[in-house]
Amino acid sequence: MTEGKLIVGPFNRVEGDLEIKLDVADGAVTSAHVNSPLYRGFEQMLLGKDPRDALTITPRICGICSISQSAAAARALADAAGAKPTPQGEIATAILHGVENISDHLTHFNLFFMPDFARPVYEGRSWHSRAIRRFTAIEGSAIRQSVEARAKLLHIVGLLGGKWPHTLAIQPGGVTRAPTETEKIRIEVTLRAFRRYLEDVLFDAKLEDFVALQSPSALAEWSSGDAGLFMEVAADLDLATMGTGSGRYLSFGAYPSQAGPAFAQGLWINGARQPLDTNAIAEDLSHAWMLGSAAHPAKGQTLPDEEMNDPAYSWCKAPRLAGQTIETGAFARQVVDGHPLAIALAKQGNGVLARVAGRLLELALTQIQLEQWAAALNPDARFMDTVTIPTNGIGEGLVEAARGALGHWIKIEDGRIAGYQIIAPTTWNFSPRDAHGIPGPVEAALEGAPVLPGEDTPIAVQHIVRSFDPCMVCTVH
Amino acid sequence: MENIETFYEVMRRQGITRRSFMKYCSLTAAALGLGPSFVPKIAHAMETKPRTPVIWVHGLECTCCSESFIRSAHPLAKDVVLSMISLDYDDTLMAAAGHQAEAALEETIEKYKGNYILAVEGNPPLNEDGMYCIVGGKPFVDQLHHAAKHAKAVISWGACASYGCVQAAKPNPTRATPVHKVITDKPIIKVPGCPPIAEVMTGVITYMLTFDKMPELDRQGRPQMFYSQRIHDKCYRRPHFDAGQFVEEWDDENAKKGYCLYKMGCKGPTTYNACSTVRWNEGVSFPIQSGHGCIGCSEDGFWDQGSFYDRVTDLTQFGVEANADKVGLGAAGVVGAGVAAHAAISALKSAQKKTQSKKEEA
Repeated sequence: MTEGKLIVGPFNRVEGDLEIKLDVADGAVTSAHVNSPLYRGFEQMLLGKDPRDALTITPRICGICSISQSAAAARALADAAGAKPTPQGEIATAILHGVENISDHLTHFNLFFMPDFARPVYEGRSWHSRAIRRFTAIEGSAIRQSVEARAKLLHIVGLLGGKWPHTLAIQPGGVTRAPTETEKIRIEVTLRAFRRYLEDVLFDAKLEDFVALQSPSALAEWSSGDAGLFMEVAADLDLATMGTGSGRYLSFGAYPSQAGPAFAQGLWINGARQPLDTNAIAEDLSHAWMLGSAAHPAKGQTLPDEEMNDPAYSWCKAPRLAGQTIETGAFARQVVDGHPLAIALAKQGNGVLARVAGRLLELALTQIQLEQWAAALNPDARFMDTVTIPTNGIGEGLVEAARGALGHWIKIEDGRIAGYQIIAPTTWNFSPRDAHGIPGPVEAALEGAPVLPGEDTPIAVQHIVRSFDPCMVCTVH
Repeated sequence: MENIETFYEVMRRQGITRRSFMKYCSLTAAALGLGPSFVPKIAHAMETKPRTPVIWVHGLECTCCSESFIRSAHPLAKDVVLSMISLDYDDTLMAAAGHQAEAALEETIEKYKGNYILAVEGNPPLNEDGMYCIVGGKPFVDQLHHAAKHAKAVISWGACASYGCVQAAKPNPTRATPVHKVITDKPIIKVPGCPPIAEVMTGVITYMLTFDKMPELDRQGRPQMFYSQRIHDKCYRRPHFDAGQFVEEWDDENAKKGYCLYKMGCKGPTTYNACSTVRWNEGVSFPIQSGHGCIGCSEDGFWDQGSFYDRVTDLTQFGVEANADKVGLGAAGVVGAGVAAHAAISALKSAQKKTQSKKEEA
């Protein structure tokens, strides 16, 4: 099919449900409409509850980024109380959160993204047999290795957080668990094992070597490990120019500490870094099955339109920053933080390759950070202060999930939750059109994607959609 | 029906060694509370019986059950998914996409008619004709009915499928409805928890394969082998409860000493699950060990019982002898005769520590 309309979905190997309508002409996508068909109503359920219950309820929005949700809820409550976690509590939170984020990156690369290159459509390519051996869904050797490495890494969440998914340890004043000296050593040993996996399998080189890459051409020459296989595929299929984005990037700043976040907060617009002003955020409802008008999340509400009236086509609201769409995620985070390779990639072609390379870069960078945080753990210090949640107040909780900027906005009245709004990373990336008819970031990135004769689920569309690593359950919640 | 490979054949094909296969069998026997004599029995079943086809569908959910099952589990439990059980249709993991994926579901249903287990993660929302969860253009509730029609049995994974979970919290905007209220003509095993423990999930499946029957269920439909004890019963902090030593405030001296979290809202005393024995993330820890109380996520309605940090107030059984006896009987009635002896012991213990508890209440 090279003309007409296509409905692509359900998407497997993405978290949650997703359906995309495509208009196709002359063998390419001319417009895309992204539908998030799953709605649960968390923001409605939170109303009237004890504010602290957000710490238990919001993580259950998502089984793969539950720590991100829990960290955002804790930050929002702390903000409302005018409190901060203890410095050691911040480090423990950063370790918990960092482990989850790189686990997600690892899963995305091995289980969600790479298996598409094992498809029969690529038969005859020089790398195809290796892709099959490593990445055939469920059975590939890389998949088994990564699942095992990830399970071991998540022991750290077990040690500090009791269980994963749905850890309860992160609180406004810090974490409930002060690690012992023995646990600190176990965490360090576990991190060493994970570094070994990264350096033997994913990069097959020192992490520091990958982190030191400065230019797209140096990246293109990377040939070792599964990262090297990806670079070979990327060059052959020109993934650099596939699904290019707006070049506007947003990061709320990752892993806050008293010395500032480990990855900076800010915007990247018109090729330069700019400060973030969250007051410029508004959620547009013109194409979402939601009642009401566009609003800042501190004032927003969630009233589903049960009639599902046109022209809406998704449960997802459309967040905009100063009226513009903006992309968020690991790559955005590294561009905003100023990594030379990320900035160079942002300036030339910022498509599928850049997004995946951003995750690889962050796997290496975060592992190095985690080792430093673990070394800085001081079992004798305080890990949590008691924080009294005010009877009335508002709070904003900003964190960086694996997939990008995550914000919680809470309003407390008479000791109960009177308003709770969440904007997840995939809400930004997979948003529908706004009142001006401007498509969301993924909708825009899909325009121009090639549709080969006979394709009803175009392979390029699969690559582009998965390069954003959507988490659909977070998107609408 | 065509010949289906045995579990062992599938495992061999995946390169799993005999040694780790036997290790899996003995760990499973232990998890199921069976003696070493059952190890060869389990191994024999794995070697001779055709693998169990499983269709795993996702409704209104957060995928935490899949996550628990495949990613943070014991490596051997993970192998159960990646090689032993064929997840003939699982839309999170599978290779196919779109229409191919839908076709794979149909093909699996047709091929294993009457013989497959339907594993349901999440639940159907019934408001607005199911429009809040659409899979392949149709409401999930339709897919659920369709897939359940020819299933041998249904497993309700997690609190969502078993009871509704947080997405059914008041006002339950989408009318999220547990599976057993929609599928009423099939045997249903509830494996609650948010998520359930990986070893519990694989244990249930291995039991069904080995003994060719459903595990013994309690009155709520949960497998007794994992849900017959309260977390409190086997909690490593229990001695502190009995001694009246409690955490009074987050990260106080008592917290550092690992005292009981009852006053911080721990729901361990009213929650039936295996967290305090099997533990999480390959046996590393569980929530109480992380210094946070249990929230009771394997109990029906845990999401709407007041604040998660409110102290359990219906614990009159602890400390009052007359009530302790009643509780012993009540617990036995709920979870079946198998735990009667244990309940009696609990009652005895409660009686012993009434002094401390009274002091604590005062």
